[in-house]
Amino acid sequence: MGQTTSKPNSNLFQNSNFFSSYKRGFASSPSDDQNMSLRPSIFSTLRKPPVSKPNDFIPLFNDCISAASSRTQEYLLFKDPEDKFYPSPEVLTQVFLMTYISQSVSLNMTDAFNCTAMTPGQRILLGADWVWAVLEKPTKNPRIQIAVQVLHLPDREDAEENSIPPEAFSESVQIAQKESSNKTMYERMVDFCTSIGKDCYALFLFLGRKSDKENIYGVLSNNFEAAIGKCDKIDRAFIENFFKGSRYLHTPQGMMQAIVTKKEGDPLTLMIKFS
Amino acid sequence: MRSGGGDSSQGQIQIEPRSSKQMAATQDVKGKGEGGDQNFDYMFKLLIIGNSSVGKTSFLFRYADDAFTSAFVSTVGIDFKVKTVYKNDKRIKLQIWDTAGQERYRTITTAYYRGAMGFILMYDITNEESFGAVQDWSTQIKTYSWDNAQVVLAGNKCDMEEERVVSVDNGRLLAEQLGFEFFETSAKDNINVKQTFERLVDLICDKMSESLDSDPAVPTGAPTAKLTDSAPPLQQSGCNC
Ligand SMILES: Nc1nc2c(ncn2[C@@H]2O[C@H](COP(=O)(O)OP(=O)(O)O)[C@@H](O)[C@H]2O)c(=O)[nH]1
Ligand SMILES: [Mg+2]
Repeated sequence: MGQTTSKPNSNLFQNSNFFSSYKRGFASSPSDDQNMSLRPSIFSTLRKPPVSKPNDFIPLFNDCISAASSRTQEYLLFKDPEDKFYPSPEVLTQVFLMTYISQSVSLNMTDAFNCTAMTPGQRILLGADWVWAVLEKPTKNPRIQIAVQVLHLPDREDAEENSIPPEAFSESVQIAQKESSNKTMYERMVDFCTSIGKDCYALFLFLGRKSDKENIYGVLSNNFEAAIGKCDKIDRAFIENFFKGSRYLHTPQGMMQAIVTKKEGDPLTLMIKFS
Repeated sequence: MRSGGGDSSQGQIQIEPRSSKQMAATQDVKGKGEGGDQNFDYMFKLLIIGNSSVGKTSFLFRYADDAFTSAFVSTVGIDFKVKTVYKNDKRIKLQIWDTAGQERYRTITTAYYRGAMGFILMYDITNEESFGAVQDWSTQIKTYSWDNAQVVLAGNKCDMEEERVVSVDNGRLLAEQLGFEFFETSAKDNINVKQTFERLVDLICDKMSESLDSDPAVPTGAPTAKLTDSAPPLQQSGCNC
């Protein structure tokens, strides 16, 4: 509300090849971006068809991901030489998310594809750290969603568990835990996505894997629930198992392309390398 | 999958509140205090429902944090806030669940209806469609919630008189037909927000003492009343509020 008036032209630039080759420049100087968007007519006549295509956010998404991944990688292998300072792994999640959000805002893509960080209660209830959504044009309602849960290297996870004093659990976290039965966080997110349907994906984002600690990987699927029948439960080992064998690793852009071109109702499972 | 109605979709959801018995356990828990404030006499679980963008999240923000923002951030699935109110020397902790209105979230949101003791069913007085949907939301309540759950109908955004398309009378009439209480509210200008919650709490308290008076068997779980089926069991002491 009250925000829509300034943005009618943004898609124009997201659309054109012109924009994609210069978008970094625009991103670093938002005022230029605005000036450009005041003169849409010149560009709109150059382009046909004039309607913006719904998937033009994909290269921008790719840009946001590379920014977030490389920023996160700077801290991924941090170790205090004196072995006294242990930043919480949560910091890595926050760095990734902050970088992604800042970048997506400066690229002006959030009308087409947005990112909603979960509240502490939602993180427990829904198992997700944030949710990405492809938005329907006029209503801005989500059309496709990707719920993301970050996984850290196991030694980091352990450090986190040991370092949180009980009083750090706020009341809302306690209530959420009470509500969420005894399922694992992995299962809660899969349940959440399943309750929505095949246009909601669960993405487990590995900030480092045991075999490759300095890169960022993901397993994405709208069909994890099929595995629940076969296995007892969804745990880390189960998710990591997807990387075994020589499966193809998608780029973030490739992942998004696969998602938006998929036939409605079809299952889709992919492995992605984000860095 | 999107039916939101049938048993099959209900069966899918695993992220459910615990059985309503859980609620009894949360009542009258005093002084356990590890972190959260467990010091209360009663715990009421309330839900806010209604079409997307009618102002549910804003309404809850206004009530719990006394804040308002004009930016629209569509709620993902479900969220909640906690607020403690006092009534006749009793501390009542309100667990207020904020739901997303879109159809795609229907399975997850209706899973939370079951343990709720009260609902705020909201429409937007500047949006005819949201008013037209009230009947459907009311049916959802009847389908998924406890029979004795109390409902207040709220016509929100009453600060936007110029854009009004639903008259006060039509709102009141519909509330009467459905047997709900009625307020016109504004999360933006803080009109009737507190009053709506207070009324709902009163209604729940009335219902509790009424049920206890008419049905002494409740605490033992005898199947004599509807209450015993899926109702949050009422504590023996009754609600003196
Ligand atoms: N004028 C006015 N706007 C409101 C009011 N309540 C909410 N809004 C606006 O309506 C939009 C949707 O509100 P939100 O609380 O997110 O709706 P929800 O989808 O029902 O949770 C936001 O832009 C709010 O700022 C109100 O009482 N008056
Ligand atoms: Mg909301």
